[in-house]
Amino acid sequence: MTQAEIDSLIARIATGERQAFTALYDRTSAKLFGICLRVLNDRGEAEDVLQEVFVKVWHNAKRYRAGGFSPMTWLITIARNAAIDRLRKRRSKKEDGGQDGLDAVERLADPAPGPEALVVASDERAQLALCLDTLEPARAEAVQRAYLEGETYDELARRFAVPLNTMRTWLRRSLLKLKECLSQ
Amino acid sequence: MSAAASDRDEDRALAGEYALGLLEPDAAAAFEARLLTDPDLRAMHAEWAQDFASLTDDFPEVTPPARIKAAVHDLLFPTPPRRNALMGWVLGGLMAAGLAVFLLMNSGLLGPSGPGAPTLTAMITAEDGAMVVAAAFDDTDGTLNLERTAGAAVPGRSLELWLIAGDNAPVSLGVLTDGVHTSVTVPDALRGQMAGGTLAITDEPLGGSPTGGPTGAVMATGVVTPV
Repeated sequence: MTQAEIDSLIARIATGERQAFTALYDRTSAKLFGICLRVLNDRGEAEDVLQEVFVKVWHNAKRYRAGGFSPMTWLITIARNAAIDRLRKRRSKKEDGGQDGLDAVERLADPAPGPEALVVASDERAQLALCLDTLEPARAEAVQRAYLEGETYDELARRFAVPLNTMRTWLRRSLLKLKECLSQ
Repeated sequence: MSAAASDRDEDRALAGEYALGLLEPDAAAAFEARLLTDPDLRAMHAEWAQDFASLTDDFPEVTPPARIKAAVHDLLFPTPPRRNALMGWVLGGLMAAGLAVFLLMNSGLLGPSGPGAPTLTAMITAEDGAMVVAAAFDDTDGTLNLERTAGAAVPGRSLELWLIAGDNAPVSLGVLTDGVHTSVTVPDALRGQMAGGTLAITDEPLGGSPTGGPTGAVMATGVVTPV
C-alpha cells in the first residue's frame, strides 16, 4: 500500500464513498491498532479508541488536504492523539480518586518499555531517532514521553525533578536542536 | 540572531510543542487560530507531525478484532429506523406475513399436515427487507429448517441465529450455513420455549460469537407463531 494509494482513498472518503472507507480500514487498521495498544497498554481501551479513530477519519477526511500532512502521518496523528486523550483521562481519573501525591506519581510510571527500548536499532532508523541520539538522554526521553505517553510539562517536571519553567526551556531547546539536526 | 530568525525559532518550537500536546488549552487554541491563516506555521506543524509519527515505525501491527469494523459501520452507517412510521410497520408486517406464507409454500417447508410437518413458523426479516429467512420448526423432533431468501453474511463474518424467549438472554441456535438452507436441531430444553419466542440473526465473527452472547449488529428478527 503506497502513500499515493492511501491518499486517494482518503480523497474518496471525503466524497462519502463507503467502499473507500472499508478499503482504508482493511489496509491501515492493524498499524493504527498497534499504536493504540502501545500507547494504552489495554486491549479494551485500544479497541474503543480505534473505533473513535475511524469515526474521526470518516468525518474529517474533507479537512485532510488542508493540513498538508502525508496520508499515513495524518492517520497516525489521529490515532496517537485519540489514544493520548484517553490515557490522560485515565490518569486524571486516578488522581481524582484521591491518591496521595507519591502514589499518583508512581501510577504515572510507564508500564511499557522505557525510551531506551523505544528506539530500536535497525538499518532503517528514522531520521528523528538518529537526531534524538544527539540530545542528552534525559532530554530525548522527555520528548518521547511527551509524544508516546502524553506526559504534560507538569508531569515531566515532576519526573525529572526540575521546576516547571526549566522543563519548558529544556524541551523547547531540545526541539530546536532536533529541528537543526533534522534539516541537515 | 535577527529578530525574524528568532521569531521563526519561536514558531518552530511552538509548533513542536503543539504537535506533542504540551500547550495549555489557551495557547493551543491561539496556535490553532494562527494555523488557519499562516501557511508557514501549517508547514512547520505538518513537519513535526511527520517527524514524531516516525516514533511509531517500530510498533508491531496488530489486527483488530472483526467486531470493531462492524461497530464502526453501525455507528457511521446505521440502518434507517422505521419505528416512527407506524403505517410502514403495519404494512411491512402484513407483507412479511404474506411473504412468509408464500415463501414457506414455495420452499417446501410447509407440507400437508401430518407427522414431520412443521408446527411453528417464523419469518426472520430485516426492517428494510435486506435479509429474509423463513423458519419452520417441527416440535416432534426439534428440527428447525431455515431458508435464506435475501441477505448474506458480510465477507469474512458469520450469521448466527438466536432464540430469545420472554425476558431470557438470547441463546445461540447455531451459525447459518453459506448455502440457502440451514437445518438445526433445537436442544430439548429449548423446544418448549420456541412458541412465542423471537428468533434473531446477528452479524458475528467467522464461526460465531466468541462470547456465547450476541456481539454484532442485529440483522433480522421474527416471532415464532403456530402454523
